[in-house]
Amino acid sequence: MDINELIGKLQGEFEDIPPGTLKPESKISDIEGWGSMHALIVIALADTDYGVTIKGDELRKVQSVQELYDLIIEKQKNPSE
Amino acid sequence: MTTPFHLTNKTIFITGASSGIGKQIAISCSEMGAKVIISGRDEKRLSETFSQLKGEGHLSYVSELTDETKRNELIDKLPSIDGFVHSAGIVLPVPVKFIAEKHLRTVMGINFESAVLTVARLLKNKKLNEKASLVFFSSVSVNHPYSGGSLYTASKGAIEAYSKNLALEIYQKRMRSNVIIPAMIRTPLYEETINQGMYRNVEEYESKYPLGIGRPEDVANAAIYLLSEASSWVTGTNLLLDGGFTIGK
Repeated sequence: MDINELIGKLQGEFEDIPPGTLKPESKISDIEGWGSMHALIVIALADTDYGVTIKGDELRKVQSVQELYDLIIEKQKNPSE
Repeated sequence: MTTPFHLTNKTIFITGASSGIGKQIAISCSEMGAKVIISGRDEKRLSETFSQLKGEGHLSYVSELTDETKRNELIDKLPSIDGFVHSAGIVLPVPVKFIAEKHLRTVMGINFESAVLTVARLLKNKKLNEKASLVFFSSVSVNHPYSGGSLYTASKGAIEAYSKNLALEIYQKRMRSNVIIPAMIRTPLYEETINQGMYRNVEEYESKYPLGIGRPEDVANAAIYLLSEASSWVTGTNLLLDGGFTIGK
């Protein structure tokens, strides 16, 4: 996968966030309307589509969409972590 | 006057006793004079609970209640009991459109099915003494939903319905079934819930509790009441423990 695929999937799930809002450098905390439901969707999407388990506290440390992508890739390489 | 608020000469079987509410109930029941049988999945943490029990004659079994063979082995080993507390449980937040069979099986398996199947075998094998009291846990979230909570709250709603039916089928021997409905209690599960990002602003959430977030001891006291002779006329009910959460603030 590449980051655009991830952005496409997130954009598809976040129906309340206008298309084109998400970019690799987007700060997650700055996304308008971002809330706990979005966090849950990210965690669920990482599990169903990428086979990785992200914990809530791990997700909170993620600053940008790029960092989220990096985290998923890292976890795919090292499933035990 | 002799107080009926004690558990002397009673044997109480408590699931999910390795941490949180179940652990505190086990400790509190032992302090109130009960012989306690604890079960849990984590051997180390279960033995920590066991070491904190007061008095003699307690039993501890590591088990996996969602595994039919292991569950049945455990139940068949038990002596006859006067009380059953199902505090084994799991919180697994999943948005509704992402729910897959594995999530459903996990949450319903431990929160609902293991309770139902344990009780069935306890009754079938005549392990429950006359006047036995059964205690289950629901959650205030059944009526106060949160994002991602559909599976958890559905499993708890199922337990509420189940308990009332159970109460109807076991009353002949003065056996009773009741549900405790706690709001937020400060347990490892609560910390996990916060870590899973369910409450973005924890302080704001906690401020909704006039009497603050509950302690495991608060729940254990309610369980002792429901297990003791003090509640011998109480069955098929739900006991809400919420620190004033639902009166609004």
